[in-house]
Amino acid sequence: MTERRSWTLRETLVVAVLGAVFAVLYIGWVQVWLIAQAAFGAVTMDVVMGFWFIVSIVAAAIIRKPGVAIASEVLAAGVEILLGSPAGLILLLSGAVQGAGAELVFAATRWRNYSLPVLMAAGVGSAIFSFVYTWIRFDYGALQPGLLAAMFVLRCLSGAFLGGLLGHYVVEALHKTGALAGLAIDREKRSATT
Amino acid sequence: MASASGGVLKTLNPLVKLGVCLVWLIAAMLVFNPGFQAATIMAIVLVLIFVNRNSPATILALIVPFALFGFGMLTTNLLFRRDSPFATVLAGEALFASAAFSAGVTLFLRSIACGMISALFALTTDPGAFVRALMAYCRLPPRLGYALFAAMQLVPDLAAEAEQMRLARAMKSGRPRRAVPGPREAVSLVIPLLAYAIRRAGRTAIAMEARGLSPGPRTIANVPRFTWRDGAIVVIAIGVTALCGVPLLFGRA
Amino acid sequence: MRSAPPPPERTPAAEWQQVEVRYPFSARAAVGPLDLAIQPGERVLLLGASGSGKSTLLLTLTGLIPQSIPAAVTGRINIFGADTSSRAPWGWARQVAHYFQDADQTLCGMRVEDEIAFPLENRAEPACSMAAAVSSAMREVGLPDAWRRRRSSTLSGGERQLVALAATLAQDAPLFVTDEPTAHLAPAASRRLHALLTSRHPDRAILIVDHRLDELVEGIDRVVVLGNEGSIVATGRPRDVFRDARSLLASLGVWSPVSSMLDAALADAGVAPPAAPLNVREALAHLEPGTGNPDSIRKARPAVAAFLNSRTARPAAGDSGGRVVAGLSKADCAPFLGPTVLSGVDLEIHEGELLGVLGANGAGKSTLGACLSGHSPLRGGRRYGQLGGIAFQRPENQFTAGSVSEEIASALPRKTVDPEREWRVAEALAAWKLVGLERRHPLALSQGEQRRLALASLTAGDRWPLLVLDEPMAGLDAEGAARLVEMIAALARKGRAVALITHDMDLALRLCPRSVVLGEGRVLAEGPTITLLRDRALLDRAGLCEPSWAEAGRWLQRAAAC
Ligand SMILES: Nc1ncnc2c1ncn2[C@@H]1O[C@H](COP(=O)(O)OP(=O)(O)OP(=O)(O)O)[C@@H](O)[C@H]1O
Ligand SMILES: Nc1ncnc2c1ncn2[C@@H]1O[C@H](COP(=O)(O)OP(=O)(O)OP(=O)(O)O)[C@@H](O)[C@H]1O
Ligand SMILES: [Mg+2]
Ligand SMILES: [Mg+2]
Repeated sequence: MTERRSWTLRETLVVAVLGAVFAVLYIGWVQVWLIAQAAFGAVTMDVVMGFWFIVSIVAAAIIRKPGVAIASEVLAAGVEILLGSPAGLILLLSGAVQGAGAELVFAATRWRNYSLPVLMAAGVGSAIFSFVYTWIRFDYGALQPGLLAAMFVLRCLSGAFLGGLLGHYVVEALHKTGALAGLAIDREKRSATT
Repeated sequence: MASASGGVLKTLNPLVKLGVCLVWLIAAMLVFNPGFQAATIMAIVLVLIFVNRNSPATILALIVPFALFGFGMLTTNLLFRRDSPFATVLAGEALFASAAFSAGVTLFLRSIACGMISALFALTTDPGAFVRALMAYCRLPPRLGYALFAAMQLVPDLAAEAEQMRLARAMKSGRPRRAVPGPREAVSLVIPLLAYAIRRAGRTAIAMEARGLSPGPRTIANVPRFTWRDGAIVVIAIGVTALCGVPLLFGRA
Repeated sequence: MRSAPPPPERTPAAEWQQVEVRYPFSARAAVGPLDLAIQPGERVLLLGASGSGKSTLLLTLTGLIPQSIPAAVTGRINIFGADTSSRAPWGWARQVAHYFQDADQTLCGMRVEDEIAFPLENRAEPACSMAAAVSSAMREVGLPDAWRRRRSSTLSGGERQLVALAATLAQDAPLFVTDEPTAHLAPAASRRLHALLTSRHPDRAILIVDHRLDELVEGIDRVVVLGNEGSIVATGRPRDVFRDARSLLASLGVWSPVSSMLDAALADAGVAPPAAPLNVREALAHLEPGTGNPDSIRKARPAVAAFLNSRTARPAAGDSGGRVVAGLSKADCAPFLGPTVLSGVDLEIHEGELLGVLGANGAGKSTLGACLSGHSPLRGGRRYGQLGGIAFQRPENQFTAGSVSEEIASALPRKTVDPEREWRVAEALAAWKLVGLERRHPLALSQGEQRRLALASLTAGDRWPLLVLDEPMAGLDAEGAARLVEMIAALARKGRAVALITHDMDLALRLCPRSVVLGEGRVLAEGPTITLLRDRALLDRAGLCEPSWAEAGRWLQRAAAC
């Protein structure tokens, strides 16, 4: 069991490179967000937020070990800062909070179940954590309860779909490329088919 | 010897550089003033061109993505600050006086400034030396250190790999590729690039394991040392940051 | 070597007992079952057709298969008497230095000096001895000091291979395992490395897989041949194997050294050398004018002349008379994000022409190829003519699809419709011996299979008037190479222009009437290949060497003179 829990070198490196690549994508997504916000106003943030949870879901679904979700999200945040994200160092904290939300859901399955509903739940977990975090950071108490509820629901949906569902598709597409051979996801899929 | 090929900045201790850059980054976050940000950008561009001998074209190429990013900030701020209705903004007259504009400009400049500070670190630091300094002075475990190293190496190589993929595709489609990928092409590169990154991680893991990367004791070759230059650079950096702060005085007045 | 105590009596350095390896989802075993033992200090050459399981066998040695690469392994594998699976792969780094077929699997992307120091750091070598070891490894392999701070990912294919070799040599292990170490090296560098691998350390056991055998075989103690079913079909001293098992090797599609082919030609003429030769000089020693039997010499002359003739390109018709397909004028070429490496290149290529592009490692051949094909922007000057196709130096750069047959289909012209599409794909699969691999992912192939797939997809559609082939021979077995030669000749007959970038002087001479030699940042020379390769000063300057059979040419002159 302990052997299963600790990361191999390959797994550590995979988490690291996933963090790095998604950091680049996150920076790109900020652009999408800004453009969308210009068109649709402030709630867009909640709608697009889910994509920023995706690395924890993808990495966890591939490696299937404790700590992967949170580590990958924090690493992505770190690389994002190095790439010049204007949010700055606080991003590390945001990353940790979002990653913790997903990690908690995976922990609830004892890091065993990575089916689509669990991935979507992990996205919702990140959404809830990040909502609490932004509440504290931006003093959401001042907003109208109706708006708040709408924001919360939108963010959870975004987490479930842009995080969980899209993450699932990304993982499936990656699996088809054969790059995941020998990683936990591949082993489990193989033992499921034979 | 090394300074001849790489400029004095490359011989500095990476940890000192990291410290200086972090402090500068935090300052750029906290000081919400367009003058400070503009001065920061200027200072870095000058350092890169005259001390590190980067070509102005490289620097321009670096600024463009940060500027695009910052431009997004600028426009959203212009259009969506509650206290500056759309109409007045479009009227143009009051534009330069409006608080939204200056907030937007500051954000715009800030994202370029933060980007340039990171670029300064990245352009003058070898990831290997950085990781070795972290392992030597901060007791970073070697496996984590080399994972970080792999991630840092990967980001600049992604561009070359994407270029290679576009070339192969262009060849198959029989058309010369466009200079800049369109959004559809960019999205279609995501999965192949991720697959490449994961494969590369696997290969690097094999390369490191086959050559004996173990959790056990190790020596570290070419550990970056602290020299008088590092002290000097801290002093200079404080000076430069202070100089960048000069516009603040005028801002207040 | 101070790390490993001398092995007690004759424990083999490496031993495979009844080993069988099966990749997931694969119907047949990739290797075995086989038994093989390598004694300390022994130098063993492992031969086999592409896909016969050589790389797989080597990867099982330290347990990378199955611990890092999934596959089912049965049987026992020992290193100096200890079971491989008793340690993690990194635990064997003191005993085994492994040079992988893919240089990127050997290198971690660090700067050159760090890359070489890495294994020494891992075993906690003191800093001062480490610096000395790094310098001496760089000197041995011939890496210039100026490279110390270059990142290995900004090196050319061959330069990378040199660095990878220096990095594995610095490990100084009693068992050295190398998989095609010279596939991308220029002739001079490859010659030096073969000498380095086989002769410097008499007490280091070496297991080497290579397709370029000509100088290598002289330093080898034993040859082991893997058959296509993954088991050993022949083993013995090089002299015996290359003479007695010649027809077996040929039927497997395995390379033989040129001396063995000359031996065969002489035997056909009834003047076989008394002992099986390992080089051309030995093959002709008994026919030396003046000392040899004049009667035999007379019989040998036409045989040798025919042998040489079949290996030299005749200037084809339409050589320079053909229409220009593409050309460069005063072109400055640079790799992506790299510095300008070639300047002022003037070059034209004509319909039906085969143009050789030769030069040392890092001379800029790949860079020139990308520019000539029109896919890489020039830094200066101008390119005119039609767009071409490239077979990249690393075959995996070619692949964009998820399976072997999709890969070939994706390279067909878009308007190709279904029945034609299918038979084109089937034809290409059959021609390049890829049948049975249709559904495999392109990157789950052996290196030689990847090369064949890349060439198959490039030629299946026959859509480019100009093809640039960058080191197409690297990784191919003799059968694949024969197919390549046939394909290139067919393309030229159809009026396609082919630029052939190669380190294989025999291939260049055999196919290309005209060549350019790159070096010193420009085109050093241009002209008939045979003339270029006779110019000693040019060869030395450009890091090239004569074709492997040059000695036979000189013999023929001597024999004709008397
Ligand atoms: N990204 C890069 N940055 C800096 N230098 C580079 C880069 N890519 C290649 N080079 C250099 O450009 C030169 C030409 O490279 P190229 O790949 O064309 O060589 P080549 O003749 O094909 O060599 P080989 O026979 O080893 O394949 C080499 O010296 C190489 O070190
Ligand atoms: N990752 C993989 N998954 C499935 N099959 C594989 C994989 N790698 C190799 N094979 C198959 O195993 C067989 C042996 O491959 P291997 O790489 O050992 O061949 P090789 O003798 O080294 O050939 P080459 O000379 O072309 O390098 C081949 O048929 C190959 O297609
Ligand atoms: Mg192989
Ligand atoms: Mg090349």
